[in-house]
Amino acid sequence: MSRKPDVLETAESIGHAVRKRERSAVEVARVFVERAERSAPRLQTYLHRDAERTLAMAADVDRRVQAGETLSPLAGVPIALKDNLCTHGVPTTCGSRILEGYLPPYDAHVVERLRAAGAVFTGKTNCDEFAMGSSTENSAYFPTRNPWDLERVPGGSSGGSAATVAALEASLSLGSDTGGSVRQPAAFCGVFGLKPTYGAVSRYGLVAFASSLDQIGPFARTARDVALLFNEICGRDERDMTSRAEAKPIDLEGLERGVKGMKIGIPRDLLSDGVDPEISASLDRVTKTLREEGAVVIDVTLPHARYSIATYYLIAPAEASSNLARYDGVRYGFRAKSEDLQTMYASTRGKGFGREVRRRILLGTYALSAGYYDAYYLRAMKVRTLVRRDFDQALQLTDAILLPTTPTPPFKLGEKVDDPLAMYLNDIFSIPASLAGAPALSFPSGKTRSGLPIGLQLVGKPFEEGTLLRVARTWEKKSGDPLGVPPIVNGGGRA
Amino acid sequence: MSATRPAPESPSKTETAPTAGRYETVVGLEVHAQLKTASKIFCSCSTKFGARPNTQVCPVCLGLPGVLPVLNERAVRFAVMTGIAVGGTIATRSVFARKNYFYPDLPKGYQISQYDRPLSSGGQVEIQVGGAWKRIGLVRIHLEEDAGKSLHPEGRQGVNTTLVDLNRSGVPLIEIVSEPEIRSGNEAYDYLIRLKQILVYLDVCDGNMEEGSLRCDANVSVRPRGQTAFGTKTEIKNMNSFRNVERAIAFETERQIALLESGGRVVQETLLWNADKGKAEPMRSKEEAHDYRYFPEPDLLPLDLEPRWIESVRKDLPELPYQVRERLTRDFGIPEYDAEVLTETRALASYYEEVARRSGSAKLASNWIMTEVNGIRNKQGQSIEEFPIRPDRLGMLVKMIAEEKISGKIGKQLFEMMLTRPEDPEALVKSQGLLPIDDEASLRALAREVIAANPGPAAEVRAGKERTFAFLVGQAMKQSRGRAHPEKIQAALKKELEAT
Amino acid sequence: MPIDAKVVHQVATLARLHVDPSEEPRLVKELTAILSYVEQLQALDVSGIEPTSQVGEGAKAPLREDQVKPCDVRDEALAQAPDRDGDYFRVPQVV
Repeated sequence: MSRKPDVLETAESIGHAVRKRERSAVEVARVFVERAERSAPRLQTYLHRDAERTLAMAADVDRRVQAGETLSPLAGVPIALKDNLCTHGVPTTCGSRILEGYLPPYDAHVVERLRAAGAVFTGKTNCDEFAMGSSTENSAYFPTRNPWDLERVPGGSSGGSAATVAALEASLSLGSDTGGSVRQPAAFCGVFGLKPTYGAVSRYGLVAFASSLDQIGPFARTARDVALLFNEICGRDERDMTSRAEAKPIDLEGLERGVKGMKIGIPRDLLSDGVDPEISASLDRVTKTLREEGAVVIDVTLPHARYSIATYYLIAPAEASSNLARYDGVRYGFRAKSEDLQTMYASTRGKGFGREVRRRILLGTYALSAGYYDAYYLRAMKVRTLVRRDFDQALQLTDAILLPTTPTPPFKLGEKVDDPLAMYLNDIFSIPASLAGAPALSFPSGKTRSGLPIGLQLVGKPFEEGTLLRVARTWEKKSGDPLGVPPIVNGGGRA
Repeated sequence: MSATRPAPESPSKTETAPTAGRYETVVGLEVHAQLKTASKIFCSCSTKFGARPNTQVCPVCLGLPGVLPVLNERAVRFAVMTGIAVGGTIATRSVFARKNYFYPDLPKGYQISQYDRPLSSGGQVEIQVGGAWKRIGLVRIHLEEDAGKSLHPEGRQGVNTTLVDLNRSGVPLIEIVSEPEIRSGNEAYDYLIRLKQILVYLDVCDGNMEEGSLRCDANVSVRPRGQTAFGTKTEIKNMNSFRNVERAIAFETERQIALLESGGRVVQETLLWNADKGKAEPMRSKEEAHDYRYFPEPDLLPLDLEPRWIESVRKDLPELPYQVRERLTRDFGIPEYDAEVLTETRALASYYEEVARRSGSAKLASNWIMTEVNGIRNKQGQSIEEFPIRPDRLGMLVKMIAEEKISGKIGKQLFEMMLTRPEDPEALVKSQGLLPIDDEASLRALAREVIAANPGPAAEVRAGKERTFAFLVGQAMKQSRGRAHPEKIQAALKKELEAT
Repeated sequence: MPIDAKVVHQVATLARLHVDPSEEPRLVKELTAILSYVEQLQALDVSGIEPTSQVGEGAKAPLREDQVKPCDVRDEALAQAPDRDGDYFRVPQVV
């Protein structure tokens, strides 16, 4: 299918057009703002949107263009931000009531970089509360809907960021990924989602969930666009001691080099645990194509990956229980009125936090508590080492590992909400790379017979995001555009 | 070069515990020292004391959502210096950990500290007990951040609130934990004096308990003498001076002994020292057992220190108190006692050195400083830096006395004058007409004057009443305002008395 | 690992989280299920394995120079306080 691509279709082309003065940033922003006005109320993608502010930012970019400034490739590109990224003076709730009305007095590092680059922010997107969840149903405000089927979840925790890009309400977006929260919604919404190598992007200003796992990651509709956004936010930030200078911008033209001679590994042992047949079939199709393009596809093993969920659901809640202790009603956010301090703490947090968050805080506190630390948290940290080693070994034999992003296609709203463990088991393919700190990319690989997106995942060596995008780009070129655009963009959409 | 003197055997056999008799006091001290860095341990806010509330704050030390700690290099250096100074082993890898608890002045709901793997292990502080040196071992020294301040003002209508000031939140601290080898309040006092001295000599801490740059908690227990097992210990907090630490330990020791003697048992609890009442009282709220749920701080990488860097810190370490003491006794031949007094601060030791060199008389210089200088300083509450007589000038004065150019008495007069007149003693002696009279002719003339003014006593002396001679000498000194040479005026008087 | 309402309350107290009695049965059930699931880790042999607390370890992060940098967020930050008294954050009494 070759139709003339609309200049607004990719961030890359928007950026070109704005810099070449073929389109004004305001013109571009208007298109996206109008789209969002139409679809966002139904999709519930945003917690905070301010059309005037968006247009003002765009006008500012136009001023800079007129002034002859040399601008970044992202200048004029409409970008959405997950609501756990601090934006100075703009509400940042993390999808929680405990931060309702909270206005950060500073910008996150990535927000600073994007502002400087001339990005145009479309708003703050909905997410599972404090990034805890796989469906965005844990947002204290409302759930977000999947643009491809409004009865289904967009995934989580960065559901809003994924859906808004899929629905073309924004050209790009940022989410955060701790156990799959960028990749899984990317797969569910039919877009690209990257979890960078741990440390590749500064976490300064990302509201912490699990500090040793959290990474900010881009959503986009093309592989090149992912690279464009990654390039603008990667690299060492002196305000984050875990951020790394090794993270360098990706060479876009390198993405076009194809996969000839590359070695791709598939962890068959991990896939034996129940994968939806349509997803398996998609994996086979992609594998076949990569082989045809000259890649060597082999089997690898990740023997400890099956323990990842258990490991993750000890480490992440433990760190979260500590990271969320600051929400105590003392200095900001919601405070429940009380006569004494201890009651204030307990009711503020009891009322301000939703179910999933409270559940994880209890779990994490328990895992760290005296008498249990060794059996739970410490043991989990050791198993994490084993998972990392598995990846190190598998990646010595390969350039990238290919596996599904999720075991199932997008499920229905309400389907898994009452069974937390069932919800956690969705993360079986995404958590291992998080534990290893490895870069991982979900890319759209097709759709189910009923038209729901399928995404597959590539995991690579540290700081080799470019390698992953190169493989995905190869598939992207070969596959055409199997998904198209969700009906809701043109006013349709099952509801 | 080892950082400390070779230690005597420990623990010392000299017991000076006030519980002579059946019980032995066992005390361990935990000292928190604020490090004199310009900025806080994890952010770039100022650490200056006394600023308007909540003006030295930023998102990091306020514990706002999304912030991260960034470790201050100088805080690490100061902590390493301290560890080396006390003879500790510096860990090439130490790990930060979160200590989780809820308190309004702890903004993140956890304190970043060190748990399993502290920066320094072992080491000692030597104290003096009954004239002998005793080694108090150290368990560890680790880095951590300070919390903010909570104020509890009395409210209206019984509605009490707590006010929180986060200026202090994030100030770097080192926690110094001693072995339970202290045996009395007196020993604890000396331990604190000497530990503070080390910290001040290193210039890593002001050591000011009243301002809070040095804080101390005491763990106290007693046991029957000869028993090796420890008794139940209590923790005492809220002591705001070294003397109060001493008093609190004495109080608690007595209390525990009395309790045991009457058949009771000591309960493990935390007590607050009430200086006004002179008692240690249990905390009002029911103490829940703290479960701090320590785990390694994921926002900070382990602190890896290169052995070469540690070595360079060791080489650059300023002289420690014991080293200065040794040097003074060795180079100047003064007694240990003098060296002890003169090295109270590095500045005082430097002052002494200059006076000693200028005067060429080490012992005399020492006496003058210990007695006259320190006398004035104590009365005025002055540090040696504030003391008005420059060391070179004092040195000159002491030299004049040592060379017998002036008498000690004249010296004291000059000293008094020099407190308010910044002049050289040699010039002052001339301008004040205090030049000694020691030439034969003047002394004889003076003797004649004194005899003429005191015919009665003169006659008595001539008659053989020797005791009255002293009176005449006194008169001569008075007349000459002390300028007459003490021995020579006696000789002159004798001669004049014989002559008539 | 037996989790009962008592344990839930103890943990909730540590975490300063009010748990309504009506929630107890559900929480006991959910936490029991999750902890039973993570029990599988006990079967693994982890002897001699170093724990990973930071994947970035081994990286050299330079330490921050000891320099004061002014920060002007205090007014915005204090403005967010649920309760304040002039320069101070205010909370109900600590006892």
